[in-house]
This record gives sequence, structure tokens and C-alpha cells, in this order.
Amino acid sequence: MGTEFSEWLRGRSDERLRALVAARPELVTPVPAHIEGLAARAGSPSAVGRALDRLDRFTLAVLETLALQPGPATREALRSPLARACAGAPGAEALDAALDEALDRLRTRALVYDHPDERGDDALLPAPGVAEALEPPAALGPPATEVFRHHPPEHLETILADVHADGSGPAGGRAPRERLAALLADHDAVGRLVGEVSPQARAALEELAWGPPSGRLPNARREVAAAAAQSPVEQLLARALLGATGEETVALPREVGLFLRGGRVHRDLSPRPPDLEGPVRDQDRADRTAAGQAFAFARTVEELCELWSVDPPGVLRAGGLAVRDLKRTAQLLDLPEWAAGLVAEVCLAAGLVAAGDGEWLPTGGYDGWRVKATEDRWALLASAWAGMDRVPGLIGGRDERDRPLNALHPDLRRPGAAQVRTRTMAVLAAAGPGVAPTPESVLARLAWEQPRRRAAMRDRLAEFALREAEHIGVTGLGVLAGHGRAVIGAGTAADASGVAAALLAPLLPEPVDHVLLQADLTAVAPGPLTGDLGRWLALAADVESKGGATVYRFGEQSIRRALDAGQSADEVLAMLEKHSATPVPQPLSYLVTDVARRHGRIRVGTASAYVRCDDPALLDEVLADKRAGLLRLRRLAPTVLASKTSRAALVDSLRAMGYAPVAESLEGDVVVARADARRTEGQILPRAHNVSGPDPEVVAAAVRAIRAGDEAHRTRRRPSDAPGGQVPRSPATATIQALQEAIREGARVWIGYLDSQGHATSRILEPARMEGGYLTAYDETRATVHRFALHRITGVAQYTG
Amino acid sequence: MNDGPLIVQSDKTLLLEVDHEKADACRKAIAPFAELERAPEHVHTYRVTPLALWNARAAGHDAEQVIDALIGHSRYPVPHALLVDIAETMSRYGRLRLEKHPIQGLILTTTDRAVLEEVLRSKKVQPLLGERISDDAVAVHPSERGNIKQTLLKLGWPAEDLAGYVDGEHHPIELREDGWALRPYQKDAADAFWHGGSGVVVLPCGAGKTIVGAAAMAHAQATTLILVTNTVSAHQWKQELLRRTSLTEDEIGEYTGTKKEIRPVTIATYQVMTTRRQGVYRHLELFDARDWGLVVYDEVHLLPAPIFRMTADLQARRRVGLTATLVREDGREGDVFSLIGPKRYDAPWKEMENQGWIAPADCVEVRVTLSEDERLAYAMAEPDERYRFCSTTPSKVRVAEALVRRHAGEQVLVIGQYIDQLDEIGEHLDAPVIKGETRVRERERLFQAFRDREIQVLVVSKVANFSIDLPEAAVAIQVSGTFGSRQEEAQRLGRVLRPKADGGGARFYSLVSRDTVDQEFAAHRQRFLAEQGYAYHIIDADDVGEENPAR
Repeated sequence: MGTEFSEWLRGRSDERLRALVAARPELVTPVPAHIEGLAARAGSPSAVGRALDRLDRFTLAVLETLALQPGPATREALRSPLARACAGAPGAEALDAALDEALDRLRTRALVYDHPDERGDDALLPAPGVAEALEPPAALGPPATEVFRHHPPEHLETILADVHADGSGPAGGRAPRERLAALLADHDAVGRLVGEVSPQARAALEELAWGPPSGRLPNARREVAAAAAQSPVEQLLARALLGATGEETVALPREVGLFLRGGRVHRDLSPRPPDLEGPVRDQDRADRTAAGQAFAFARTVEELCELWSVDPPGVLRAGGLAVRDLKRTAQLLDLPEWAAGLVAEVCLAAGLVAAGDGEWLPTGGYDGWRVKATEDRWALLASAWAGMDRVPGLIGGRDERDRPLNALHPDLRRPGAAQVRTRTMAVLAAAGPGVAPTPESVLARLAWEQPRRRAAMRDRLAEFALREAEHIGVTGLGVLAGHGRAVIGAGTAADASGVAAALLAPLLPEPVDHVLLQADLTAVAPGPLTGDLGRWLALAADVESKGGATVYRFGEQSIRRALDAGQSADEVLAMLEKHSATPVPQPLSYLVTDVARRHGRIRVGTASAYVRCDDPALLDEVLADKRAGLLRLRRLAPTVLASKTSRAALVDSLRAMGYAPVAESLEGDVVVARADARRTEGQILPRAHNVSGPDPEVVAAAVRAIRAGDEAHRTRRRPSDAPGGQVPRSPATATIQALQEAIREGARVWIGYLDSQGHATSRILEPARMEGGYLTAYDETRATVHRFALHRITGVAQYTG
Repeated sequence: MNDGPLIVQSDKTLLLEVDHEKADACRKAIAPFAELERAPEHVHTYRVTPLALWNARAAGHDAEQVIDALIGHSRYPVPHALLVDIAETMSRYGRLRLEKHPIQGLILTTTDRAVLEEVLRSKKVQPLLGERISDDAVAVHPSERGNIKQTLLKLGWPAEDLAGYVDGEHHPIELREDGWALRPYQKDAADAFWHGGSGVVVLPCGAGKTIVGAAAMAHAQATTLILVTNTVSAHQWKQELLRRTSLTEDEIGEYTGTKKEIRPVTIATYQVMTTRRQGVYRHLELFDARDWGLVVYDEVHLLPAPIFRMTADLQARRRVGLTATLVREDGREGDVFSLIGPKRYDAPWKEMENQGWIAPADCVEVRVTLSEDERLAYAMAEPDERYRFCSTTPSKVRVAEALVRRHAGEQVLVIGQYIDQLDEIGEHLDAPVIKGETRVRERERLFQAFRDREIQVLVVSKVANFSIDLPEAAVAIQVSGTFGSRQEEAQRLGRVLRPKADGGGARFYSLVSRDTVDQEFAAHRQRFLAEQGYAYHIIDADDVGEENPAR
């Protein structure tokens, strides 16, 4: 069977193989050596599991239906149970189309392959490993052979005798377990048995049919005869409609479950995804609202970085940002805490802040980001958000071990976060222009698209994503904005950002080069200011209110700041006149001249030491001395010299020059140095891997490599029969494949095994299960069930003894 | 790109460009839910506060309208977070309601059970409530109607009061419109109040708030209690009511420090109501003296805290508050909202001024330079003496004289804080001085003389600040004052804002000592006045002589 699958794969066109690799990129990391390798990897439990995780509910149902068929199934055989399950959903055409699509999808992903049935019709089989990975399919119980595996044969005989009270049952020959399974597979027989039990027992069956197919029952292994059965459960146990799977658990055999479901495998199935419901808004208005938010978000990021430039919060010993610091930041940014956490996380993801010297500081990247246009800044932030594998929404909560989760802490990583985020946005994108889907319908759609993903975590992540998208300005009024669509859209990262920025730009306020000056000493900039004017105003006035416009206020302090920066009153007034759309109000020009009048009347300088002497002539002498040149002395008054060297050095030098100075106490010795904005060279968080799948070139190259390897492999290949008496050796992938096959067929194999001391041994096994790197099998050589580490199995050969 | 006149800031202020062609439409659209904060010449600033949003809700506006108004007029995209916040805040009003139940009496009901559960858990709310009647309703002690509203507002769930009012004792009151007529906005204000039940009418000084009060009384047709700030104001109310309504001398009582009359219409001062003897308010019985059908609060922004407490017990009576501004220095705007009621009418000063109801004022700050000796003395003065020192500099007296000379022939008011200084100025100008010790009768005589233009110049101290009516004051000169207080500015300006017979503009001078703490206070004043939209400029004392008064 494994070889059949390999051959089928080999027979696929290159184009089909490329589609396979594109849909399941994990198959080519690393690139397998040949088609057998590809087939083996495609059948490995982890690879199958990942492929199944990506299937939508309907496609998965198709696959489950197929896996439940005894052998190869034709399309028609699959269609009838699906049609019954889809009874509530729209017409046959939709189902046919969806079924074809689903089958095509499954073939593309090599989860099924073509295999003619007994009559030679076109039919399908699940790929190796798929049925195992689906276990239990459609929430059905285990097959009868599994349920009754541990029942003593005598017990089963009793049951068989009971249910064949009329003596018409098939006579012996086969094991009782097999006979019982055959009996339960016969719908008429099961129907008869179900008819015999009491209504309560039937109700219990109904419950198990669609609910969880197992239950708890004390002393489940009791032996009951049909005649002596008391309770409803005993009636079922006595007829094998229920079987004990443990001391205290019972399960509904799969065959019985299928009968009870009345020819359906699934209850309510829809060939189409659930509709996205929600209010319809004006797309234009939504775009603008999102743009407004985007503008605000980019500004908030800048504010945070500026804040942290001068007053960086510390990095906790365990990493991350202290709760107190987050609170403070939130307060300063005037945001709720979750939003402040989001801003910090996006900064981290975009490489704008990083940990350095035990503090969170903006990086050099921030300086580059800051000078970009707003739309480019935003696009960078938004794509960093879309791709990050960290979950800001968890901030403030507690992890599994009840430890608080801090912002910027390494523990905020959640694998799959980026994937859920992208998918959530993709759902919004599918909603059509102007539709603002309700969170519930988004969650329902996500659940339909990937039913196998863990729902609780996914729902939380998706809700976070919706909330964050709104805050970042990817969506507006719940509708995905044009620029948001571009950011989350497929394509290479740089390209998407560019498109998004281009879409966003016209919605943002245009830079203006004028302000409105008012008599209350404010200047209103009715839009973002051009660079020079913005910088100048930030110097000469204080910002009072931010948003689409900026309100500046002039005050004594701010005017003084401008004068301190070297501007004259006339220059300030000229600048105001040049950039004001209105005449400069009289109180403002009065303020400027009034401050200038007093500015600089008192002068202050720095000196680290001074020389004082009552005799000006002596100081003349000192100044005239050539050696004093290094001391950088300056005469402030006839009897006072100021120096920039330290007092100690001054005293020493003067002594060396032959004077006899005495040090004075340190009064007036103040050196003011403002701490400058700081930057870190700390590590920038690596960008999370691209979630949209491998590039087409990579895919094509991988397929070419596999084909080439396969050619080489096939020319070398020799028939590999069981080597008599030799310890079998086979490549690891083939080993796993052979074991899987043996499990499926219940066949016995002969394996080579390295025991714990490293001795090569050989065993004859009846493999039962393979999971987590171990094979559980009945060891015939030692007559016990044993677990074998897969990596120590050197090879497998068919046992034909 | 939209080219609207409005810019929405992230701190919930709205900037309105007044020269924009759509500015008027925009102003009308945002006025219900945003408080005008600053109105300088080019860009007006409105602020969206929770109270403003709830006022809008109370006036029947919903979040959708508010958001449409913002998005529709905004020049730039409006941040989504702000819209969400507005919708969220507005949805909080009216989730809880006070209603009258035929059997249970006063009950608190809800349309949202979770909210009711939340407030019921509050320790402050519990003692105000009675039995739980159903899942969605709980009884309220009738005496706690005011308290529960106050408490719920603090919790952020303002209750809508639908429990109705008692009619009170019937008393016929008619407006007598002979020789004058109710201005349209006065009628609108009174009607808006009456339809709303209870609430506050915001009108600028000089816009005729007394008449709005009279119109409200004419609506009520019931005995009325009027609470005013002081005795002078009480007299003026009485005069005005006699002139404007069918009420006669016998029907109006004054309840002040000197008279204790209780009549169908009684005017009481805040002062007498808040007098305590041995820790007990002695005049509380006034509230129960008659079955009042209407309570009028003059100058709500000055309402003292004890009156709030008394008002809490008056919730079954109709209440109308009259004020020039909702802004309170003590930040108790929320109590006005919950105890008197939501804002029912509002007209921006500037708009009324444009319509000619109030005279435009020109504000001039005159900078007086201290002499060198004064500067030295100022530098050495004790901190608590500094203000007095610099604001009473003799130079100011000279400048004041020069200004009075310049405005010879006009009605001039000199306002100040320090009696010595005022006496000195009064002496120099040969003008009467009104101060705290001046008897009421004398005060009124002087005011009347001033009104009759028998006196041209009047020097008044702080007592003149509140609720007096000096119709023909064209010029006010402020020589000193304990400001920074926004209220006082509004009051002072109100003095000179009365429309004059010749339609000329009023002028407001304030004298400021340069480079002193006086100048710091002046900076507050300048900001406030400029924000109110008044022309403001600064001149030096030396220029007073040269300045052209006609300019």
C-alpha cells in the first residue's frame, strides 16, 4: 500500500507536486531525497497532523467519510452520506461543487490517492497515516475489534450466544471477536438488537451516538447475560451495543454508532462556510476612520519612544516590562493598559525598541523610522504586528503556572499567533466591502475553516486580533480598510507595505506650512506641520493638544527657550509672521518683546575653579605667564579669574609655576549636564517567519530536487526481500512506513532492534500502535507487549512464518 | 479628502475653524454634546466630556447623531477609539431610570440588569435603596432621590429622572409684555426648560437671565422660591419681577438677613440659607414653608455646597438653574447635573454679541512699571504681602486718573480689591466709593444715581462683583483683584457688557504692575478673556496719554 502511494505520487505531474509542496511546505524542510522519501514524510504522523489542521470542516468531513469506508470508495459512495449530512443546507449543485473542490484539495495535498476499487472503478483511498491521524473520525467510538479486544473470549461467546438466541448466527471457525465485529457491521442485526432494548436504553444510545461515544460506569467489566440484564446499561452491555474499554469506562462501538446515525457520518454539515454577518457600513467612511486611527497609532508609537528615550523603564530580571512601568506608560499615553501594551509590543516587533543595559530603549532603527512619512511608518508597524508571534492581549493575565504575564516578556510568544491573526484578517477580507462582521460570526468562520485547531486559544487570539486591528487602524468601524487589506494581503513583505502606504497616504492629513495665531497665545496647526516649522514650533511653544491638528501655546518659558536656542526676538517675530495665516496678535508680539527685554541680562557660565586675588597686578602676571595657557583662564573681574580646569589641577599648576595658592571651598561649583536621549544597540527581535507559505521558486526548486533524487534512487534500487537470518536494515522512513502498514493490516513483522546495551537483536512483532516516537507491539519472541523506541529499530522485514 | 471646518483631537477636544464657510452648520451640530471651552478669534475649542455627552442624551440626541456630526464635519479621519469611547459613554445614560410606581412609590429600574447588579454592589448605593421589587427594579427611599442621582453619576451610570414633579400650590403669574418683548432666545430657553422638567439654562451676563426666570414662572403658574447670591441681587429680582410680570408688591417676599417675608413668590439669599447657629441651619423650614411649585437658582455656578445638600431633598419640585457658565471653580459640575438637572439651553456669548444683544468689549491691559525703590521693596516683601504691595502701587492711581480723564463723559466704574487704594482713588477722582461697610440703602442710592447719570464715576470694591445691574457702565477699570478666578473675570466683564444706548463698545482696562506676581495673574486673565473671544491688547502705562480712545 505504501508503495502504491509512492507510485501514485511519482505519477503526479510536476505541477501537481509543486502544488503539494506549496500547500504542505513542511514536506520539503529538508528536501527529501526521492519520491519514496516524500511519500514517507507525507505519511508521517506530524506531517499528516499539520495537513489535517489546515482543512476546513467540510473537506475534513469528506476525508473522515472516506476513512470510514472499508476499502477504496468512489465519489458516489462518498456523496450519499455527505448528502444526508448536508440535508439542511442548500441544493445538490452546491454539494457537488463543494465535494469536487474538497476532493481536489485532498488530492492536491496527497491526503487521498486514486486507487481502483474491486470492480475497477475510479475510487479513492486515504493516504497512509491519514486514517490513524483522524482517529477517532467524526467523534465516533472505537471499532468493535478495538472495544472488545480485551474481553475474554468466553465472555464474548456468551454475548454471541445471547444475541443469536435463534441460533442463526454464523458458526465458529473465526475468533469470537471477529465474529462479533462482523455481527455489529451488519445493520440489520444491530437494528434487531436495538429494537430489543428498553426505551431508556435506546435514549442512552441516542445520546452516545452524537455526543461523546464513551461514558463512565462503575464496574464496567461485569458480565451480564441478556436475560439477567437489569438496568438499561446492562441491557446494552449484554448485547454488545456497548463495550467496556476499562475498569470504569464503556464505549459505543463504531459500527453501532454508524448505525444509530442512520447512514450519516456527520450531523449538520454545510458545504459552504457560514456566512459572515454584521452591519454594512460605508467603506469610504470605514477607510477614513481606520486612517484616523492609524495616524493616532503611529503618533502614539512615536510618543512612547520619545518618552522612553529620556526616561527608559527597566528590564525585569526575568525579562519584560514591570507592571508599574506599563501603568505609567499607559497613563502618559492616555491609553488603557491593554492598548499601551500593544503599542510597546508592536514597537518591539518592529525593532523600534529593544532591551539594552538593563533598560528598554529605542533602537537606532527608531531614528530611521521617525523620519519616514506617516504612511510608511504605519505600514511598517502594521506589518510587524501582522507577522509577530507574540500575543499582546495576554499582558496582565497569568500563565498556566499562575505567574503574571508582563509586557515585552519572552513568555508572550505563542506559536500560531501570527497564523491566527492572518487568518482572522483574511476572514474580514472575505466579508466584502463595507461589511463589519460580528466577532461571533468571525469566530464561527474560523472554526469552520480549521476545525481541528484548539478552539479556546484560537478564539482568544482571534478576539485579540480583532481588537488590535481596530486600534492599529487596520480596520475601521469593524470593516477591513483598504490599507489594512494591503498589509495583511499575500505577496512579499516590502511590496505589501508599499501598497498599504500608498493607499493610506491620501487619507491622512496633508502637511501644512502655516499656523493660526490667536490672542490667547495659542497657535493652531491645522494639520501635521512640515519638518522645519514643526521643529521650530516645538522649540518656541509648548504642545497643548494633539490629533489631526496640533495646538501650541506660547508662554514666557517657551519664548525664553527659543531665545536660549540663539534666536533673537526679531527672528522669532519674523518666523511667526512668515508662517501665520493671520496677523500676529498684539499680545503675542508683546510677549516676545517683553521676554526678550529681560533675556540675557543676567549671564551664567560654567567654571570648574576660580582664582581670586586682591592684587590685580599679580593676576596680570599669572595671565601673562605662557604656562598658564593650558589652564584656560578667563578674567571675569580685575580680581577674579575663572578656569575650566579642576581646582586640584589649578592649584598644582599654579604651584608648579611658582605661586603659593590656597584652595577655597567648593561654593558655586555646579556643572549642569542634561542627560541626552539615549539609544541602544541591543538585539532587535528577529521577525517571525513568513506565514503565507514558501515562495513559488522555493517550491519549484524542491520539486526539481526530489525528482532528480528520485531518478538516481530508482536506478540504484534493488528488490529488498526479507534477508534470511540477517538483522533487517532499511532506511528510517521506509521503516516507519512498513510499520504503519503492518499496524493497519494487523500483520507480523520481523525487526532489527538495538537494545539498551546497543546489541543488535531481532524480534518478531505484531505492531499495535505508533506514537510519540515509540512503537507499541506484541513481542512474539518474548510473549509480551512492549514499547520500542523507533530510532533504535534498524529495519523491518515482512514476516512470513 | 473632506474639507470640513472641524478637527478632532485625540484628547477629545474639537477645534472649529470659525472662518470656514461651514463653521455655522458645524457649530450647531456639535453644540449639543460639546462644551465651548475657548473662543478666540480663529479657532474655537470645544470639549467633549462625559457630562456634555449625557446632557446631549438628556436632550434626546443619540450616539449615532454625535458620531455622524463628528465624521461629517471633520476635516481629517476621526480616530476610531474616540468614536467607540463616545458611543460607550453615551450608552451609559438612561440605563438606569428613576420612575414612579403606583404602589411602590419611587423606584429605580433598568434596561440592563448587569448594570443594576453592578450599582447594587456599591456600598454607597446600598443604604439609599429599599426592597428589590423585581429583577429589574428596586425601591428607592423617596428622601434619597437626589442622593441616589449624585451617587450613580459618580459611579458613571447617570440615572434618568422620570419620576415627575409635584404641581405645587397654584398661583397665577403672567408676563406683562408692555413696552418690551421676550427675546426669541429667552423664550426658547424657558420653553426648553419647561419641556425638560428641570435643568440649567446657560446664558451670558447681560442676556436677561432674570427674564428667563420670570418666563419659567409664568410656565409653572405656581408658588416659586428664588435663591439668589446676595441682598442687592434679591432687590433687583424683585424690581424686575414687578416690572415684567403681573405680580404685585404683596405677592413677592424677601427672605434676607433683615427681612423674613414668606409670600407666594419668595426671594431668599444663599447667605441666609446657609447661616448656621450651633451647627444647625436655621432657615431650612423655608423650603417647607409653602408647597413650592418651582425653585429658581440664580448663578448656579456659585451655588454653595450646603445648598446642594438641601437641594437633594427638593427633587420632587421643578428646578431651574440660571448661570453664565457651567464651569465651577470647585469642579462640582456633576452635582449641578444630577441635582438641578441637565443643561437645557445654551447660547454662546459671541453669537449673542453678534446678534447685538450684548455689547462687544475691548480689553486693554496697562502695564505699570514700578520705580526702582518699589522694585527693591517688592523683592524684599514677605511672600504673602507681595501681591498687595505690587497691586497697590501709587503709579496705578495716576494711570487710573489718566484713564478716567480720557473717558470723561462716559460712565466709568473703577473696581478694586484693597479698600485703602480705592479710598485713595475715590479721593483723587472725587468719586463715591462703595465697599463692604456701605449700607444697602446707600449702595442702592448710589447705583441709582449712577444709572441716572448723576454720577459719572463710581469706585466699587469686591462686593460689587455679584449680581448687580449697572446698565450704563461703558468703561471698567480694574486696579487690583485676587484673580486667576475665571468667575470673577466673567462677572466683571458682565458689568460693562450691557448694550449701551448709543450702541458703542464697552472697554475694560486692567492695570498691572510689570515683572511682578500681578503680571502672572494678568496672564491668566488675558488667557481667559482671549479665550472668550474678546479683543485683547497690552499697552505700557506711558502710552495711556497717547492712545487714541476712539480706536
